[in-house]
Amino acid sequence: MSELYVESPLAHREAPQGLSIELREITDRGMIDVRGSASDKKFMAAAKKVLGIDLPKASRTSVSWGDVKALWLSIDQWLILCSRAKAVELAATLKTELGGTHSLIVDVSDMRAVLRLEGEGVREVLLKGSSLDLLSDDYTPGTVRRMRYAEIAALLHVVEDTVFDVYVFRSYADYAWDFILATARAPAKVTLFGAQSTPI
Amino acid sequence: MLVVHCPVCGAEGDETDFHGGGQAHVRRPATHDPVNVSDEAQRDYLFIRHNPKGLHFERWRCDRGCGKWFHAARDTVTMEFKAFYGITELPPRELMEQATGEWATYFKDKLKAEAKS
Amino acid sequence: MSNKPYRLAQGGSRIDRTKKVHFSFDGKQLNGFAGDTLASAVMANGTKLFGRSFKYHRPRGVVGLGSEEMNALIGVGDGSRHEPNLRATQIELFDGLQAVSQNRWPSLAFDVGSLNSKVSRFIPGGFYYKTFMWPQRFWKHVYEPLIRKAAGLGHAPEGRDPDAYENIHVHCDVLVVGGGVAGLAAAESAAATGARVILADENPQFGGLADIAGGSLDGKPQTAWVAEKVSSLAAAENVHLLPRTTVVGHWHHNYLMLFERAADHDPALLREGAPRHRLWKVRAKQVILASGAIERPIAFANNDRPGIMLASAARAMVERYGVSPGVEGIVFTNNDDAYQTALVLKAAGIGVRVVDSRGRAEGALVEKARAAGIEVAVSSVVSAVEGNLGVTAVRVAAYRKGQGRVITERKISCDFIAMSGGFNPALHLWCHNGGKIKFDDGLQSFRPDRHQDPVTAVGAANGTFALADIIAEASTAGEMVAKRKTKAAKVKLPKAEQDVQKPLEALWFAPATGKYNEGNKHFIDFQNDVTVADLELAQREGYESVEHTKRYTTFGMATDQGKTSNLNGLGVLSDATGKSIPEIGVTTFRPPYTPFSFGSIAGVLTKNLFLPIRRTPIYQWHADKGATFEPVGQWRRAYTYTGPGEDKHGSINREILAVRHKVGLLDASTLGKIEIKGPDAAEFLDRVYTNMFSTLKVGKCRYGLMMNELGFLTDDGVTVRLGEDHFLMHTTSGGADRIAAWLEEWLQTEWTHYKVFVTPVTEQWAQFAIAGPRARNVLAKLGADFDLSHDGFPHMSFKEGKLGGYPVRVYRISFSGEQSYEVATPASMGRGLWNAILDAGKELGIEPYGTEALHVLRAEKGFIVIGDETDGTTTPIDVGLDGLVSKKKADFIGKRSLEQSYLKGPDRKQLVGLLTEEPTDVLPDGAYAVKQVKDKPPMEMIGQVTSSYHSPTLERSIAMALIQNGRARMGETLSFPIEGGKVIRAKIVDPVFYDKEGARQNV
Repeated sequence: MSELYVESPLAHREAPQGLSIELREITDRGMIDVRGSASDKKFMAAAKKVLGIDLPKASRTSVSWGDVKALWLSIDQWLILCSRAKAVELAATLKTELGGTHSLIVDVSDMRAVLRLEGEGVREVLLKGSSLDLLSDDYTPGTVRRMRYAEIAALLHVVEDTVFDVYVFRSYADYAWDFILATARAPAKVTLFGAQSTPI
Repeated sequence: MLVVHCPVCGAEGDETDFHGGGQAHVRRPATHDPVNVSDEAQRDYLFIRHNPKGLHFERWRCDRGCGKWFHAARDTVTMEFKAFYGITELPPRELMEQATGEWATYFKDKLKAEAKS
Repeated sequence: MSNKPYRLAQGGSRIDRTKKVHFSFDGKQLNGFAGDTLASAVMANGTKLFGRSFKYHRPRGVVGLGSEEMNALIGVGDGSRHEPNLRATQIELFDGLQAVSQNRWPSLAFDVGSLNSKVSRFIPGGFYYKTFMWPQRFWKHVYEPLIRKAAGLGHAPEGRDPDAYENIHVHCDVLVVGGGVAGLAAAESAAATGARVILADENPQFGGLADIAGGSLDGKPQTAWVAEKVSSLAAAENVHLLPRTTVVGHWHHNYLMLFERAADHDPALLREGAPRHRLWKVRAKQVILASGAIERPIAFANNDRPGIMLASAARAMVERYGVSPGVEGIVFTNNDDAYQTALVLKAAGIGVRVVDSRGRAEGALVEKARAAGIEVAVSSVVSAVEGNLGVTAVRVAAYRKGQGRVITERKISCDFIAMSGGFNPALHLWCHNGGKIKFDDGLQSFRPDRHQDPVTAVGAANGTFALADIIAEASTAGEMVAKRKTKAAKVKLPKAEQDVQKPLEALWFAPATGKYNEGNKHFIDFQNDVTVADLELAQREGYESVEHTKRYTTFGMATDQGKTSNLNGLGVLSDATGKSIPEIGVTTFRPPYTPFSFGSIAGVLTKNLFLPIRRTPIYQWHADKGATFEPVGQWRRAYTYTGPGEDKHGSINREILAVRHKVGLLDASTLGKIEIKGPDAAEFLDRVYTNMFSTLKVGKCRYGLMMNELGFLTDDGVTVRLGEDHFLMHTTSGGADRIAAWLEEWLQTEWTHYKVFVTPVTEQWAQFAIAGPRARNVLAKLGADFDLSHDGFPHMSFKEGKLGGYPVRVYRISFSGEQSYEVATPASMGRGLWNAILDAGKELGIEPYGTEALHVLRAEKGFIVIGDETDGTTTPIDVGLDGLVSKKKADFIGKRSLEQSYLKGPDRKQLVGLLTEEPTDVLPDGAYAVKQVKDKPPMEMIGQVTSSYHSPTLERSIAMALIQNGRARMGETLSFPIEGGKVIRAKIVDPVFYDKEGARQNV
């Protein structure tokens, strides 16, 4: 049997040029969708046993444990991030350990494309497609938020102050990539608030 | 473009991040007694809706957020949201009391029941 | 006449006389200075004629000083960069600017269309409504082309727009609209509290009219204070200044759109690739409206002649651009403010007289004017204007309020008029979103009253005109509305000094000697050529409501949205009816405040971003293979793979026959996939499907139908039982998101006690159908680690395992009627597995097939497609699937509605098959069956074709149709009239055309 052929959603795209920020695809990201009730103690305890951390209960937050991150998606839904190599096994363990609880575990590592935007002005670039108040204090590192981005659904994860991951459904990967190429062009750079040159 | 607030997850955002689901508190007769649903009851359930000028009660979904449904009380003239409350809940008491027309009729029994308990 | 007869030797605060700028107007090369507008530069060159009016093609010049300009509409740029209908007063001059006048032919000075003016007494208000009524057939060939030719201003650009545009969203604590003295004071005090403040102004400079309003702040000219504030706001960390940015609309919950002309003024920016326009979508916690006021024209006879300007605009020409509006002028006013213009003109050495309609004129400014030696005629009006392409003289007559006609008049030679009928607060944005207004007798205008959103009007926009009051009011508002006080800084207010003005007296109409329509046009709406006579005629004809008068006469409906005309029109209607202006009421203000570009609305969402396109993991392979694509929702699916020497018809037939006789491979990744799990999952599925799912065995698949609550079909698909409490539902490609949301809705809002989780997983999987008599051989050749035998893996069952090393879920289900396996693998491996299947199937004759082959294959089998055989009013019974509607289940979605009598009647359209009499005739999709063929419509229709194809398997055409009471009409022949008078006749047959027993899929 020959080696399995695996490709990421944006494998065919070239590194972008002429942008005001950096843009690349994150390919090594395993993702597991976990459904269960935050008020179900048995479920929460079983999840902690596998992950080593409590699933976050606070809206739009995330927690990390080693190379595993848990992103809050809803009051009964989380997205677990890990390396792709680890995802299959981790999903299987979760299914086993949570078997006795009302839960639904799905390995969705291939369902989304992950776009990494990085650099000064990244929030302004995102604001060209999102109506969220990304300049407010709500969007500190660790924050997650599902949103409408351009014309599609997306998941935003604030990694660092000027580092954002945008998750979109795989079929929209090219659309999202092209949208960021169009809105992040260097000559279209916008800096919101802060010192400006005095208008005439 | 309204600003909507989700009472489930606390997210606030543009109307486009939410999904309007029409009038609230519409009772589905077949859920309760599938055998004895009159044609008139089914008609009312499917088609008859309130259209008040002023205080109105409606359903919304946190479509691009936590995905949960909730209720909202909104003034159809000023567009002001008066309250957001759970999908299985009744509006705050003072809003049930302020309701007019068909809504007042609808909430009359609810207020009585609440007063009793 | 010198080269620049109207450029004064001195003055012009905005222009830099050391920087010459070259531009063209109507092809003529002209010079101006840096800082000029097109209006000032053209006027400096001695030209007052800027365009022709919309209806009468009357010659027109510049009237206003900014966005209120209604006459001087100009086309700028050429070819694909041409933009029509820009206001000359807002166009910033740059080197190489190309501008053209509009609405004239062959030339501006001699315009054939101006003959309209000569026959204008025959084209009164409502002319179009009255004339183009009958006969009806004239509409298409006579009236419409005629109206289209005459209608519209300017011309559209040619070719694709080469420039970039974009949108951006911003939230702020306070949005200040307008950067005049009021706006600056409000922004300053709001910003001092630490609030995030955006200050937008439609002009390139901040300061509003501070430079021409007179008065002083802290003993210095207002401009010094403005400069200081602008530079400190620009430096602030919490303030964003947006010059050249018009707030075009205000919507619910303080949502505003701001149109930034980011690069129109500087071609170098465009060359670098900067966006030409940017549309800001702002959500503001508070809005401070400091949008100022707009000066009113006066309705006197022929008040539209080039050379007649608003008093503020004439003053700005002199003070800002060093341009004289003429040599000898008249200031015609009903208020004190215009006396400032008289004083400025006088100081610049330009001849000036004042005509004041008031009985007494005695304010401080009036006295200054008299002291300066300016002749002031009170109780007087301008009753007529002489001249056509420009003003040559005015006639002045004695006047007392309410007078309808003047008797004697005296003639005064002059070449320009500066008029002022008072000022209207710019209320548009206040009113866009339901703000209430009230009439102010002092201003003789409306001013803001209440607003349900957090909006505060300050300064002239609020009807406050005294400088000290403006600053105090705006500064207080700024501080009050910015509630987030992180700094306690108190802004120190400057001391304001200004000449005190006496009240104005309303003047809605200046009488003339003659009657209306005897060459005496008193224009109200200059842009739409609506006169006082038109408004009064509408009244006489019974248009009592101001909203009706507006539509009948088109007053206030031009691109300027009635900025200068609205209130004057109301004043005329008030005089005509004897009702007060508040009784007349106002018409609705609608966005946009000024026109803005389609480019800015679209932003980057053009070309490849026009629509979001969804691609499957195999998309690139399809494209490389030369597939044509078919849109299915936002997906692009391979329609057929047409090879060299083939046409589409040929490739579709080849693909179908490959499936029937060998084996085919279809990319079905777009199918919706939803995991459903929980102790109540089976019962829940019984509620959402018409048929029973709780009886489905683990490892088995079942086809299900879904209705909405009305009893109509909405989706279908195969659901698999993965475990006792665990299902995988397949939906249609277009239905995936809708059905997932639908399931959530029922769980959350109706059956809240069910313990069920629903997770959509459509995109996790690449999914392919391997279909045809050799399908199993392909799987065997790939190496499957599960039992492939018919008994071990029968039709409608499910296996999980490995295929060619790839992890797969395999469903033995068939939409083609052949032996068929649907294989799903994680999306990242989709391309790998796809290639492995093609390799393995090569010697078995495998061929990829597209969606058209898929459709023909299913039609041959009589399988329905939701959206083809159903149209949103079709029940399961209509399509003959009664067997899938459970009689055992007490309740499921749509069940009760299906029992309504009207869904059971004999006249329901029912699904049938059709065979045309002529086997080569393929019925058009949607063709109607008629009861009786007649020479021409109408004919009674009894049903329609829902799917129609040429079937290569059967070597003839086949079709399905919904026909009234169709199942009882088997064997009947129906007539389908199609285009060109042809009638296709077809026999009603069973909709299953091929392999009726279903033997082929079951081997």
